[in-house]
Amino acid sequence: MLPSELLLVRRRSGRIWPRYAKLSSENLEVANLIIQAYSRHIGEKKNVLKEFVGELENMGYDYRFVRGLSVLLDRRSVFKCNVKVDPVDLRRRLFQATGRLGLPTTPEQRTRIVESVASEMKLTAEMVEEALYADLDSELVLAEFNPLSPQSLLKDYNVSLTQTLLFNSTELDFTASGNWQRIFYAVKRLGLIYEAYRRGGFWVKIDGPASLFKLTRRYGTALAKLLPAVIANPGWTVEAKILWKYTNEICDFKIESGRHGGILRKPEPSAVSYDSVVEQNFAVRFEALDSGWVLRREPEPVPAGRFVIIPDFSFEREGVRVFMEVVGFWTAEYLRRKVEKLKKIEVNMLIAVDEALACEKLAKLEKHAKLNIVYYRNKVPLPPILRYLEEAFQHVKEKQAQFVRSLPVTFVESVVNYEEFAARIGVSTESVRTALTEKPPQGYVVLPNSLVKKDKLEEIGKTLEQQMSQTGRLLLPEAARIIETEGAKDSSNVLKALGYKIKWQGISPETAEVIMPESKQTEKDS
Amino acid sequence: MFVIRLRFDKGTLLLRGEVGTPYGKWDPRVGCYRAKAMHYRDVLTYLEESGVPYRDEVPDFPPLEAMKCSVELRSYQRKGLDRWRRAGLRGFVVLPTAAGKTYIALKAISLLRAQTLIVVPTLDLVDQWRKRVADYLNVEAGAVGGGENVVKMVTVSTYDSAYLKAEVLGNRFMFLVFDEVHHLASPSYMQIAEMYVAPYRLGLTATYERADGRHALLPRLVGDLVHTMEVEELAGKHLSSYDHEKIYVELTPEEQRVYDREMSVFRRYLRVKGIVLKSVEDFHRFIMRTGRDRNARKALLARNRALKIALNSEAKLDTLAKMLEAYGNKKILIFTLHNDLVYRISRRFLVPAVTYQTPREERRKTLGNFRSGEYKAVVTSQVLDEGVDVPDASVGFVLSGTGSTREYIQRLGRLLRKVEGKRAKLVEIVSKETVEVGISRRRRRKRKTGKGE
Repeated sequence: MLPSELLLVRRRSGRIWPRYAKLSSENLEVANLIIQAYSRHIGEKKNVLKEFVGELENMGYDYRFVRGLSVLLDRRSVFKCNVKVDPVDLRRRLFQATGRLGLPTTPEQRTRIVESVASEMKLTAEMVEEALYADLDSELVLAEFNPLSPQSLLKDYNVSLTQTLLFNSTELDFTASGNWQRIFYAVKRLGLIYEAYRRGGFWVKIDGPASLFKLTRRYGTALAKLLPAVIANPGWTVEAKILWKYTNEICDFKIESGRHGGILRKPEPSAVSYDSVVEQNFAVRFEALDSGWVLRREPEPVPAGRFVIIPDFSFEREGVRVFMEVVGFWTAEYLRRKVEKLKKIEVNMLIAVDEALACEKLAKLEKHAKLNIVYYRNKVPLPPILRYLEEAFQHVKEKQAQFVRSLPVTFVESVVNYEEFAARIGVSTESVRTALTEKPPQGYVVLPNSLVKKDKLEEIGKTLEQQMSQTGRLLLPEAARIIETEGAKDSSNVLKALGYKIKWQGISPETAEVIMPESKQTEKDS
Repeated sequence: MFVIRLRFDKGTLLLRGEVGTPYGKWDPRVGCYRAKAMHYRDVLTYLEESGVPYRDEVPDFPPLEAMKCSVELRSYQRKGLDRWRRAGLRGFVVLPTAAGKTYIALKAISLLRAQTLIVVPTLDLVDQWRKRVADYLNVEAGAVGGGENVVKMVTVSTYDSAYLKAEVLGNRFMFLVFDEVHHLASPSYMQIAEMYVAPYRLGLTATYERADGRHALLPRLVGDLVHTMEVEELAGKHLSSYDHEKIYVELTPEEQRVYDREMSVFRRYLRVKGIVLKSVEDFHRFIMRTGRDRNARKALLARNRALKIALNSEAKLDTLAKMLEAYGNKKILIFTLHNDLVYRISRRFLVPAVTYQTPREERRKTLGNFRSGEYKAVVTSQVLDEGVDVPDASVGFVLSGTGSTREYIQRLGRLLRKVEGKRAKLVEIVSKETVEVGISRRRRRKRKTGKGE
C-alpha cells in the first residue's frame, strides 16, 4: 500500500486501471538502481539516501513510480537514531538553560549556552550540535536493509499499486480457485458483508453494512486487505467499483490471473494449513486408508440461501460428494443453528464435534442426535465416518439407479458405454451399471462396462472370424482395432463375450494371440 | 411479545421483524431492514407512535458516574447553551478561540448527565479535554486514540479514531460533542455523525465555513447554527485586546536571484499555456495537470522552490533575532508553515519546537513547561493552530503560513485568552516583493466574505 499521492492510474470511458510497472529491462534497471542505492547507503542518513532517490526521479521516470519503489524499500529497512546521547534529554537541558539565561540572539550567546550544557553532560559542543535533532525522521541512519530482486520489487510495487487503488473502492467482486476459508475468515474479521452468487463459476460480492445507504469508500481499506488472500490462488478474477474522488465518477476495475498473475507478487506460499492438529491428524489417517474416496481440504464453498458454508473437508467418489466440518468449542444452540443452515442445502454433511469441549450437557442434544454428528475425543474416529460415507454412497447410488431406471429412454446406438452415459445424465457410473445390468433393454448384451446390441456383437464376431481365417491367426492389437472400428471400446470384454480367449506370449499385448477354445469351436460348427 | 428487534450492527441499525420504518431500507444481503445509526431516535419515536411492539437491543452504554460540575458560565456562554437546549439539544455554537467554548460543552454534559463522546482534532486536545473534564466535572475521562482505548461515561477521542472505530463505538454514547466541528463535514468524518446513535449533539468552532462549501452539511449532521459571536464583540471585555504589525523584509541578493529565476519558469509556463490561476479551484486543476504533463510539474516545482525561498528567507531570521531581543521577557509563540523552518529556528535560537514529529511525551512536557513559564517561547508549524491552551502567551510571530483566514484566526486566538492587564501582539514577517505579500493579505480578509484555505 502506498500513500495515495503516489497512485498512478489510467482512466478511459468509465474504466480505470493502475499503471502497472511492466517487467521490462528499463524498469528492472531502475528497480535495481534503487535497491543498490539502499544497500550502499547503510550507515548514512535518511535525507542523504532520499536525495539520491530524488535524483533518480530526474532520469525521466515518473516521480510517483520512483518514490513508490522507495516507500516499499523503506519498509524493508531499519532506520535508527545513531547518537549516544538521548536527544530528548539534551534538548530539555538546552531549553531549560535558555529559560534561565534568555533566548540567544547572537552567535556568541548561543555558543555560551551550548558549551555550558555540553560541559554539564561531559560532551563536546560538536557532539551537542550533532545530537540535538538526531531523532528526527530525516536524520535517522539506515542501519539495516533487507534486499530483494528487482523483479520481486516491481511485483510488490504492482500489488501495492492495486491495493492503493482499491482504497477508493466501494465494492469488490471476485472468484478464486481456492483459499476460501482464509478469505471468508478475513471478510468476517474486517467487518465486511458478502453475497455469493453464480456467474459461470462461484462468485462473491463484498461490501460493508453502510454500503446499503450510499456509495462509500469506507470499506476500501478493508477490501484492499483482502486482495493478497485472493491472488494467492493459481486462478482468480477481481472486479471492483472505484469511486474516483477527483471527478466523483464510478469506474470499473478488473484484473485476472491470466493477464496479471505474472506481474503481481503472490504472498508467501503457505501450503495446506490446518486449523487444528485434530484436522491434520484426521487427514493423515484417512489418506493412509486408500478408501477410494478423494479427500480435499477447504473445498469450494457451498451456497446455502444467502450464506455460504465452507466445510473443512470434502470426500469425493465417482461424483458423490460428502462434506465434513470439525467443530471444537460448541453449544447446543450453535449446533442447532449450524444444522438449520445445513437444512437449506441438499448436501451430505458430517459434523465431527469434540465431546470434551461441549459447553452444554450432551443430553440436551440427544433429540437432535440424528444430524450426522460424530463425537470425538482427541481424534476423529474413522469407522463411523467410513460407515457414513459408504451409506451415503450407496444411498446416492441407489437413488441415481432409480432415476436411471425411471428414464424413458430407448437406446438406438449399437453400443452404450456406462461411463459416457452416466456423464451425459449426470449420475455416477456405478448407478448406471446397477440399473442397466439389473434389467437390460431388449436386444442388448450386458458387458461389464457397456451394453452391446446382439446384432452388433454377432457382426463383430463374423469380422473377427474372417480375419482369422484369412491370416491363420489373430493378434490382440489387430482384434482390438477391428472391435474399435465397429464402435465398441471395451475390446477384452467383447472378446470374452464372444467366447474368445487370449493367449499371452510374455507380457507384451503386441504378441498376444486371440484364440477360440476347442470346445467352443465344436459348439459353433455343430 | 415484540415484533421488531432493534440491534446495532457495525455502525448501522438492524430491524429484525416484519415491519419497516420510514428510516429503514430492506437489505437483501442479510434479509432484514437496515437504517443509519443516526436515525436511532427517529426509529424509536416512530415505533412508539405507531404502537408497534419492539425490543431495543441497541444501547451498550458505559455506567453513569457521579459528577460535580464547577463551571460558571459567562453571559454569552449561557446564552449559547440556552439556545442549544431550545433547539432540541442539537446544534453548533460559533465563538472566537479563547472565548471558552469548552465550558459550554462541560456544562451541557453535566446537565444531560449522559454518556458522552468528545471528538477533537488532535492528541494534544485529547489530553487537554481530559484534564478539563477531571478539573471541572470531577470525573476521570476515558480516551480512544493514540494507543489508548478506554470507554467511560465521558470519553475523549480524536476524529480519526472516532471514524475508524465507529463500528464498535457507535452505540456507546447518548451525547456527542464535536470540538472544531468544521472538520465533521469532511467526506470521511461525516460518517461519525451518521454511524453513531447519539441523539444529542453539540458542535463547537471559531470558524465553521469551509473553502469547499461542505459546512452546508453540518445542520444535518449535528443540528443548526444556534449561536455566534465575533472576536470584535468580545475583545477587551472577555478577550485580550491586541495589536497587529506587519514587517516587510528584503530577500538576500542570492535568494532574490534564485527566486526570480524560479518564478519566471513558472510564469512562462502559465503564459505559454494560457493558464490563469485566480481561485482555489483553478489551482487544483493546475495540480491535476501536473500528474499528466511533465512541464506542468517542472513549473510547479519551480514555483514551490521560489515560494519556499520567500517563506523561509534568511532575512526573516535576522528580523526575528531583533524581535526576540525586544520582546525577550514576554511569552512568545513563533509560527511557520514548514517544519524545516521550525527546526532552523529551534537550532538557531534554542527555542523548543513542537511539530507532528515531536514525540508525544516531549510535546506534553514542552507545553507544560511553556505554561508554567520555565520555557519562554515555542516554535511550531501547524499543530498548535487548533486548541492548545496557553493562557498568558502574549506575543506571536508569524514567519510564514497559508492564506487561510481560519489559520490566522486560530493563531491569533492562541494569544487572546484574557489575563488582567494583558495586551497581545501579533507580528507578521513577510518577504517584500514576493507572492507572500498576497498570501499575507488574503489571510486577513474579513471572515464573513473570506473563504479559508
